[in-house]
Amino acid sequence: MPRVWSGAAVLVVVLALCLVLPQLYANQFLFFDLMVYLALAQGVNILYGFTGYLPFGYVGFFGTGAYGMSLAVLKLHLPPVPAVLAGGVAAVVLGLVLAPLLRLSGAYFAIASLAASQAVYYVVANPSLTGVTRGPYGISLARVYHPSQSYLVMVGVLGLTLAAVLYLRRSRRGMVLQAIRDDPQSAAMAGVNVVRERVLAWLASALIAGLVGGVFAWQISVFYPATVFDLSTSIMAIVFTLFGGTGTLLGPVLGVTVLFGLYNVIGVSEPQYFQLIYGALIVLLVLFLPGGAASLLKRRGIDVL
Amino acid sequence: MLVYALTAGVLFGLFYSLVGLGLNLVFGVLRMVNLAHGQFVMLGGFAAYLAYVRLGWHPLVTMVVAAALFLGIGYLLYPLFAPRLAASTDPEMISLVFFFGVAEMIQALAVIGFGNNQRSIYAPVFGAAPVRLLGERFPAAWVVSGGVSLLALLAVYLYLYRSRLGYATRAVMASREEALVSGLSVGRISALAFGIGLALAAAGGVLSPFLLGGVNPGVGVGLTMTAFAVVVLGSLGNPLGTVLGGLIYGVSLMLMQSYLSEWTNLLPYLLLLVVLLVRPSGLLGRGVRHA
Amino acid sequence: MSCEPILRVRDLVKRFGGFRALDGVDLDLNPGEVVGLVGPNGSGKTTLINVVSGIYRADAGSIRLGEREIGKLPPHRVAALGLNRTFQVPKPFRSLTVRQNLEVAWRHRRRPGPGVREALEFVDLASLAEREAGTLNTAQQKLLDLGRALVAAPQVLLVDELGAGLGPSELELVADRLRRVAEAGTALLVVEHLMGFLGRLTRRVVVLNAGAQIFAGDLAAAAADRQVVEVFLGEGH
Repeated sequence: MPRVWSGAAVLVVVLALCLVLPQLYANQFLFFDLMVYLALAQGVNILYGFTGYLPFGYVGFFGTGAYGMSLAVLKLHLPPVPAVLAGGVAAVVLGLVLAPLLRLSGAYFAIASLAASQAVYYVVANPSLTGVTRGPYGISLARVYHPSQSYLVMVGVLGLTLAAVLYLRRSRRGMVLQAIRDDPQSAAMAGVNVVRERVLAWLASALIAGLVGGVFAWQISVFYPATVFDLSTSIMAIVFTLFGGTGTLLGPVLGVTVLFGLYNVIGVSEPQYFQLIYGALIVLLVLFLPGGAASLLKRRGIDVL
Repeated sequence: MLVYALTAGVLFGLFYSLVGLGLNLVFGVLRMVNLAHGQFVMLGGFAAYLAYVRLGWHPLVTMVVAAALFLGIGYLLYPLFAPRLAASTDPEMISLVFFFGVAEMIQALAVIGFGNNQRSIYAPVFGAAPVRLLGERFPAAWVVSGGVSLLALLAVYLYLYRSRLGYATRAVMASREEALVSGLSVGRISALAFGIGLALAAAGGVLSPFLLGGVNPGVGVGLTMTAFAVVVLGSLGNPLGTVLGGLIYGVSLMLMQSYLSEWTNLLPYLLLLVVLLVRPSGLLGRGVRHA
Repeated sequence: MSCEPILRVRDLVKRFGGFRALDGVDLDLNPGEVVGLVGPNGSGKTTLINVVSGIYRADAGSIRLGEREIGKLPPHRVAALGLNRTFQVPKPFRSLTVRQNLEVAWRHRRRPGPGVREALEFVDLASLAEREAGTLNTAQQKLLDLGRALVAAPQVLLVDELGAGLGPSELELVADRLRRVAEAGTALLVVEHLMGFLGRLTRRVVVLNAGAQIFAGDLAAAAADRQVVEVFLGEGH
């Protein structure tokens, strides 16, 4: 089977499972969160796996999407679905503002992106902006609350995200991004406009997080700034991606499924034990299995797409 | 109010210089960003709290003991992780992710061991009466912390600029490759630098409950960010710059708290972003590696 | 060769902080000409290549490629206009295959030149086309680097210590290939420590010291020049 088709098959299977499983096991919130992390992990994957930039502050786009969506509903009176798109646009705008961060090299970028997300959080949550963002008092979207619709839209966003990663794995642009990740200077001398390609990947991953944040806001409908700018959202998305293996389609899917499952077994009641486990996993992976769990499959000749 | 803000800013600035210096020393010598630095500071804070509550130790005694202990731990841990990380394809990023994992582990263990509550120490342990400086009254704990930080900074300065090992350490900071070629035992010097980095984190940590109002397992991330802001402000790899960065940070913090208190939380992050975007080499910098 | 120089560098200055790595360098290259660039460590050879190829921005001076001023262009634009380079430490795309390494350059080329297969054969890597570039040895990575540069069909090729670390037969191969590139009309600036290797390519050398040119002319005359000898002996060569 050509790899494009096996990739498409994976996409269809994942989406079908997301639609069917809630009918069999009636916990829609669990599956919604699973999809949120599947999409966010792929968003991290697009940036880190294909350009080498690790966005510790990725949650900044998620929170911006949530607030963009909410303000579009509350201030512009948009219906929820266009409002979700507005959330995505808000995240892309933030991405454009922060694009100069891409001038920084690896570690500086990672930390600067974390600082940026915290800065956005403290602005949004600031009491003196209560008139605009409702400051620390949070948002209520009770008027448009519709969990089954928002669930379907989330399936759509996840589908879009997986398709984007599949495209990068199969296309010329994906090969070019990998070249940039391997060596930006060589890539430039090969004629690649390194800055433009990086910015595009950055904006694509911002768009994904913004859309996911928008649907998330719609789904939970009542939230505080700290809910949608929670650093542990970035951290979990990054850990899931690294655990599964970056630069592939299946790596992050695998990482989210295993670790999000583990999170729901022990992480909800005893988060510190979950944190200890994934902290240790990261340390061990970095030292002994830098390619993530997917590289174990690859070694056995299994295609991780 | 201005004199008060400036003086308090210098006292806090000395403390932040101490916290930043450990991070900078490790970066300068190892070329790795210790993302768990703030978590080591947090451990220092808990050491001060537990030693005081359980054993009745004076924080300054705890400081000496904790610094010595962390120095040894750092020195012994270094060979277990650093050579492996340095041999990887992208040491800068890989080590960042490694220390990120370490930070998460330390924070989790702190919650498991000490609980999630904010702990504070009875401040008058440093003297009950406020101290008068330049006509303003400051808590004794602040003045003592500032003074002790200054002494620790001086000690590091003497080590780096007046001792043979310190001279070798600076040679490694200037160029790891040339230091290797010229026969310095780069591994041992780096292990020592990592130990000193952790010792400075612990020393700053012991003071932290008095300046930050207490300690809890969650303070690590913010402290790492602040330390990074302080270091970048002065320029990575330049120990003297860190002292300047700490002072600038401390003074801006106090000015913000006096005049724009609602926006104080933003300060370290904005400062970091502005410096990285406008003058990435720092105020005294010779070079941040650009992508 | 009476034609106009294809590369014309004038008064090039590059500072790092207070240190002047390039202190007013002039250089002309004619089509098909090979010029050796020598000098002690830290004399500015690699800096010159980094500035001319657009990796660093010059602080002053001009760089003309044909009729175009390229001093302020980013490296991918410089490459598109026909100036390319190899790297002292080879920098392949490690996770891509050898073939894909050249495909990246081939897809972005702006000038008619060799195809991927042709270039692979030219640098003797056709048999390794499907290998991941990270698994190649240093010599093979250097050849791949050369192939990547040639796919862009450069008018000017800057070669930064391609010979260092190669064995005798590999040196022979590289020297032959560089001669053929020059014969096809490309101008070559070759940074090299190995004088024997350089001598097989050209007689014309430029000697840099402390960021400035101290000699330009015949290789043999350079060896007799008092200033050149002093600079090299002072370095312990």
